[in-house]
Amino acid sequence: MDDYFALDELLYRAVYPPEIASMFWRKNGKVSSAAFADPKGLSVDRGYFRDEKDVIDSMTRRFTGSIITIFAGDCASIQAIIRYLPSKSNPYHSEIHGSEHEPLLSKPQRFYLSERAWQVFPSVDQ
Amino acid sequence: MIIVLIAKQIEIRNNIKAYFDTAYDGEIIIVPRKHGRNIVILSENEYMKLNKQHLQTYYSKLHEATTGLDKTVVDADARAENLKKLEEIGNLKDNWNGNGAPGLPPALIKKTRALIKALKIQPEIFPTALETIQLEFDNSNNDHMEIEIGMSDKAEVFVAPYDDSEYFETIRSTAASINERVEDFYG
Repeated sequence: MDDYFALDELLYRAVYPPEIASMFWRKNGKVSSAAFADPKGLSVDRGYFRDEKDVIDSMTRRFTGSIITIFAGDCASIQAIIRYLPSKSNPYHSEIHGSEHEPLLSKPQRFYLSERAWQVFPSVDQ
Repeated sequence: MIIVLIAKQIEIRNNIKAYFDTAYDGEIIIVPRKHGRNIVILSENEYMKLNKQHLQTYYSKLHEATTGLDKTVVDADARAENLKKLEEIGNLKDNWNGNGAPGLPPALIKKTRALIKALKIQPEIFPTALETIQLEFDNSNNDHMEIEIGMSDKAEVFVAPYDDSEYFETIRSTAASINERVEDFYG
């Protein structure tokens, strides 16, 4: 794996806290931009074109909670930076930063991503 | 012109058909009784007229209660829901976002609780990993507004209009200032 993100690569984000599933969901069914505010940068798992079920299985082994996804291209649209930061326990770990020098996404960046994100786990059909 | 007749019970009893016909013709008959337990006889037609006026008054009051400053009547359930959610937010422990976010300060929860109680139009509320609470509003034009509350006496406002450029404002973090800004947002 390299640090190149194709525009159509999916990025998966765990939404905490897992014990209160509805904490970040708005009445219109979208996730709140507040879930994208992290001063350390927004941790995600890169999809790397894996089967979505495999991604979800891998992530749910590490935590219990909801999973949302966005395209890498959504980040490019708002000049957010995706950093590939693999760890020993998670070779897919990456972070979305607001800019080269600021890990925190700006409010317009957070809002844009919240509007573009969709939930993949638990399935909205469940 | 409405004619009002006063007739004793015994007169009514002895001439009931005549009084009913009189009432049917539009007159109103009051029957005095002991201890003020009076009875009024009127035609169905007159009753419907009175009932219509009563219903108009009722709907007029209902309309007043559900528009403008009296929106609090409508948002009572939303307020209760927000106060409950705020308790859950207050119970979040350190590292609640899995990335080291601290629990939210009790003073912030207390401040937000007071705001929620005082807001005339209720927002949706969300915690952030920045030790702030975000109030979100959406109006009928699909415009979106976020007000971020922290421990500062200022609140950051972010507005994303549906068909215009996004912008920021800073307002005082008081119920009066927020109510004013929210009322302006909803027009």
